[in-house]
Amino acid sequence: MAKTRNEYLPEKAVIERIIEESADTKTFTLRLVDKGKLSYKPGQFLMLSLPGYGEAPFTFASAPRKDGRFEISVRRVGSLTEALHKLKEKDVVGVRGPYGNWFALEKLKKKDILFIAGGCGIAPLRSLIQYVLKNKKNYGMVEVIYGCRAPKDIFYKDEVKAWGQSKNSAVHLTVDEPDAAWAGACGVVCVLLPKIKVNPKTTMVFLCGPSVMVKFAIRDIVKLGFKEQNIYASLERYMKCGIGKCGHCYVKGKYVCTDGPNFSYAEMKKLGIES
Amino acid sequence: MEKLFITKENLKVLIASLKKDCAEFIAPRYEHLDDIVLGDTKADGRELLNYEGNSVISPRAFLLPQTEELFEIKSAKNSEFIAVEDKKKRIFYGVRPCDIKALKLMEEFFIGGEFEDKPYKEKFRNSVFITLSCIKKCSPESFCFEMGSGPFAKEGFDLQLTPLNRGFLVEIGSKKGSQVIRKHKKLFSKAKPEDEKEVRTLSLNFTKGKKRINYKRLARIMRENKVQESIWDDIGQRCVVCSGCVTLCPTCSCFSIQDRLSGAQGSRFRYCDGCVYAGFTRMAGGSTPFPEHKDHIRRFFEHKLNIDTQRYGVSSCVGCGRCIQTCPGNISIRKFIEQAVDGS
Repeated sequence: MAKTRNEYLPEKAVIERIIEESADTKTFTLRLVDKGKLSYKPGQFLMLSLPGYGEAPFTFASAPRKDGRFEISVRRVGSLTEALHKLKEKDVVGVRGPYGNWFALEKLKKKDILFIAGGCGIAPLRSLIQYVLKNKKNYGMVEVIYGCRAPKDIFYKDEVKAWGQSKNSAVHLTVDEPDAAWAGACGVVCVLLPKIKVNPKTTMVFLCGPSVMVKFAIRDIVKLGFKEQNIYASLERYMKCGIGKCGHCYVKGKYVCTDGPNFSYAEMKKLGIES
Repeated sequence: MEKLFITKENLKVLIASLKKDCAEFIAPRYEHLDDIVLGDTKADGRELLNYEGNSVISPRAFLLPQTEELFEIKSAKNSEFIAVEDKKKRIFYGVRPCDIKALKLMEEFFIGGEFEDKPYKEKFRNSVFITLSCIKKCSPESFCFEMGSGPFAKEGFDLQLTPLNRGFLVEIGSKKGSQVIRKHKKLFSKAKPEDEKEVRTLSLNFTKGKKRINYKRLARIMRENKVQESIWDDIGQRCVVCSGCVTLCPTCSCFSIQDRLSGAQGSRFRYCDGCVYAGFTRMAGGSTPFPEHKDHIRRFFEHKLNIDTQRYGVSSCVGCGRCIQTCPGNISIRKFIEQAVDGS
């Protein structure tokens, strides 16, 4: 019998750095302990293992780096994430992957790009944002719309500010619950749509966020003239295996883990889903 | 291929010899009064050479067991794992053609495609399948001929036996099957023309009055959303989420993964799960993309009857009838098919 890799067996990864993004979210910088590096593309995800708690999928939150380090941002929302938040730098976790499809990088060249993120939906998009800003000459205008509950929930604060300061780029922020110091926009991400400068007819859009946000943001940008096949959403589903076998993320014959997690709005409509 | 013949006495000799050559001999036997259940009869010799009906649980239970260890956790803290392997050779005897077709589909699902499922592949590739074709309908609920999976297996078996008056007709379906024959040449003779004639008669008797279901047409009806919503409403109301259907279905493959630790060590297991459960798609934080119960059954039926027909060219409902037999709410996938086709 030919030797088959056991896809379920994780590799060891060490936590090199932990940054608190908000009251309930931390960003972990990881590196494989034994083997070289995970070579992934923006938009793909990994399965993170915490023995005793199981596994959960996390999308890479950083662009691929030469040194093999990668980041994930994790909101404390279940038992595994709760336990992960208790870990310290130098602790070891299990990882396997990368899995899933990646953002359509080849379709992006010379194009304007609009990112729409809600809450921790910024994490999966950050991988691509970092990637295009690093190779900015290959792309047109880059705009980011990012909505959070409150100013204290904004992740990657300094970095987000810097995104808007590179040439031909802009960042628009909004919060639901402003504090006294907040001078920016208030409300859902859609309130920022009138501010964008990119041309709807040719711009590529990437969305990630809570399902209501994705649903309504897509409706609004379609009304503005953005094309269905140019709108991509990174979807979230419960998943156990990441390799198209366990069935949890199945939607009408597609597996969000292997056929996704990134779907164009045209594909989503075929599957009968809005988020 | 040339067909062979084996007497009942010689079949017993063959089985005795095969048992020496395997770790487990999985065969039908009586359990709990009259139930026929597949189990390891290597030691106790309780296997039935021939039987009526079908086993309560399909052979899937041995290839995708209810609970299965994926690997050992040597140190939870340091994420150290030890791979486990299942190299046991299993011989399955008396498997029905519907279940063989199911295994063929499971092989494509678990071993074909982008990723291979190693635990499944290991067990499947180390197994030999000896089919016992059906000379009688196994239950009033079964509709294997209608779904194109019975009464004889067309592929996927290593050897296929058909019970006749004077013994068993033998067909070879694979290299593994030929090897068994070569090793036990003396036990087999050439089939006589009257044996083949008897098979034809059996086949005609079995299929008399039955009509194949056009499952490609059915898939189209489902794809075009032409199934009346009231049918789904009715099914949704009848289902009490006992999960008997997904437990017994020979082509259900959904599983979940969970760790069990005792102190710092333990194992990661997978266990069978089912798409009919309300929590099947529930995410951390509580949101679920499919909150309505009828949609869980819709997803189950659509996967079998529409999506898999598109993907594999055949429906992954093999018509074994187990889900119909077990359902306390009287949901029948067969009746659903008839309603869907008639009502479109």
